[in-house]
Amino acid sequence: MDKNIFLVGLNHRSASVDVREKFALTNVADFEKSLLAACPLREVMALSTCNRVEILVVADGARCQDMDISEAVLSHWAETCNGPLEVLRTHTYKNQGLDAVSHLFCVAASLDSMIMGEPQILGQLKNSYRKAVETGTARVIINRLLHKSFSVAKRVRTETAIASSAVSISYAAVELAKKIFGELSGKTAMLVGAGEMAELAATHLLASGIDKLYICNRTYGRAQELAKTMHGEAVFFEDMVERLKGVDIVISSTGSPTAIIRAKDIREVLKKRRNRAMFFIDIAVPRDIDPDVNSLDNVYLYDIDDLKEVVEENMSARQGEAVKARAIVDLETDAFATWMKSLALQPTITDLLGRAEDVAQRELAKTLKRLGPVDDETREALEVLVNSVSRKLLHEPICFLKRRTREEGTAERFIDVTRRIFNLDGDPVHADAHLDRRTAEDDEPMDCECCHDPEPEAKETGKRPEHQ
Amino acid sequence: MGLPDFLPILIIGLYFLGTAFYVLGSAIRNEHIKKMALLLGGIGFALHAFDLARQVAGAAAAADALTSGRFLFCLLGFGILLIFLLLWWRLKMRFLAVVALPLALVFYATADATSGIKASLPPMLSGLFFLMHIGTLFASMALLAMGAGAGLAFLHLEKRIKTKIGLKKFQQDMPSLDTFDKVNHWVIITGFPLYTFGLVSGFVWAWLSAKRVFSFDPKEILALVMLGLYAYLFHQRLAYGWKGRKPAVMVIGVFLLTVVSMLGINFLVPTTFHGFKP
Repeated sequence: MDKNIFLVGLNHRSASVDVREKFALTNVADFEKSLLAACPLREVMALSTCNRVEILVVADGARCQDMDISEAVLSHWAETCNGPLEVLRTHTYKNQGLDAVSHLFCVAASLDSMIMGEPQILGQLKNSYRKAVETGTARVIINRLLHKSFSVAKRVRTETAIASSAVSISYAAVELAKKIFGELSGKTAMLVGAGEMAELAATHLLASGIDKLYICNRTYGRAQELAKTMHGEAVFFEDMVERLKGVDIVISSTGSPTAIIRAKDIREVLKKRRNRAMFFIDIAVPRDIDPDVNSLDNVYLYDIDDLKEVVEENMSARQGEAVKARAIVDLETDAFATWMKSLALQPTITDLLGRAEDVAQRELAKTLKRLGPVDDETREALEVLVNSVSRKLLHEPICFLKRRTREEGTAERFIDVTRRIFNLDGDPVHADAHLDRRTAEDDEPMDCECCHDPEPEAKETGKRPEHQ
Repeated sequence: MGLPDFLPILIIGLYFLGTAFYVLGSAIRNEHIKKMALLLGGIGFALHAFDLARQVAGAAAAADALTSGRFLFCLLGFGILLIFLLLWWRLKMRFLAVVALPLALVFYATADATSGIKASLPPMLSGLFFLMHIGTLFASMALLAMGAGAGLAFLHLEKRIKTKIGLKKFQQDMPSLDTFDKVNHWVIITGFPLYTFGLVSGFVWAWLSAKRVFSFDPKEILALVMLGLYAYLFHQRLAYGWKGRKPAVMVIGVFLLTVVSMLGINFLVPTTFHGFKP
């Protein structure tokens, strides 16, 4: 490769949170510009989130042969963050060439995320890329590489089940509720007690369309407070069992040392509700709900350990899917390597002439079929005609590309454009291809991949959730 | 070989491929394969309808077709698919294809094997009798078949949720327990009146034609047992709000009795009016 791709970065595996905090890039655009000014690089793009920083650079092989590019990037990075270079060096990874390409594809496809398969990282990568395009630090290679990484991520999501099951306890509970009741619209839930996880599960239930949420707490004031924020209805603790006859899903998370919901109570409740199914989610330790409740017909009880098991199973299923995903990444990395090679002028001229000859021959065959039997002389004349027309048409564009090749720094852009205009790589053009060229202002602000609870977004996109 | 001779093999082949592809599509979670299976089943269903029409048109008298064993089993298979299509259309229960296609295959193949066998049924009152007795009973049996399929799926999924074994990939694609129970509800509230009407019309016809209501043959005894179970289920479901496991198990039981009655008693035991024993 004439152009070298380097990727330097740190993530949740290579660096602890204090190191990640220290070396997070607060102004990515300024960093990209200053790095371009400080080092002899052609292109730069940086991604900075709570869990990772990735700096992707493209350099001329000839210009940088006597220079350690990765080290130069590290120095500039340490300088920008006012951090010790030695610390940064010990916590970063460096990839070059196809290893860098493969790593970026893995990041985009969320194979390198803390929770594999989470969807936020792709949005963050797109955001960083748009900023780099606006800053002008992303050009031919990064353009192509990032677009390719988006399509790799899409392929991984559609061809594997990497994001197909819940990997958070609260969302696993909602998924189970859907397996019991189907659509949750028209259903009623009750939150007994309080607690972050229980409230999160209740929020997910509300987002999934349940009709009503009752909030029951030993302290009625607290129940009212929560009811206000969650648009629910506060219920006195003493009325809880009575109210259960109209409730389909119960999330319990109190600090009670003994069970507050007993099987004999639920047996009576079931009679009153004509055996309509009930789902109990017991997040409390010690447990709030008598385990015998699960033995009643049409009643399903999951405690925190059961839900953890579901999550662990889903996580291991994702690990299995990751093998398939990595095979896709390998395949696409090879395809990218082929494209990099084609950026030289000669292969493009060969492909261009080949395409022209192909079109000419196909059109000639059609014409000959329409004309019927013709003598050899006429056939030869027609062949010469179509070939010379196609070659002459391409003569000027080829001369133009040759001239640009002599001018440093512009050839790749024109070669890339030529390849795209004539679709010499045979890439499919998706209907939404233009979306990646939108400016950052066109989009909603994106949440951080690790600070944001992914489930609501997953609901909107039809994908299942995960955390990074 | 002209098309009519070739038709039964073609229909059996289409139903077989439809069944195999639907099971495969469900197992590997491939929507295209499932759609292809439904397309194959749909072509089979259209040809099945054509075959039924051909049998009626080809018979010397309408009663000849209506009392032929082949026609009756053909009709039962057709009825199962028709009820499946209704449930798919009205209640979006496409998953029942996994039950409907193999059952249509079994009954069509049985029909093909019973060519030449005729029920010992006098042709009088055949048109009206056919509609009131066979039509309603076959519709209720088709409903029971769908209910049994949904019941089996319910029991399987419920066990996995209840015992917390975890859901495999294809189980994650299955409809919810509530959906399976809804099938059970529809099967019972529509199937029981149809079954009762079919049975009563049979007794009325027996009284009109033979001046006796009950012949104490095994078919009639089993039919009454099934009616009792069906009535109990109907009552418990509507009056006591039975849901979930119990009605699922009972519908499967009643459906199995139907199969015993149709394939066991009709072929193996001598009866007054329902014998297909060669």
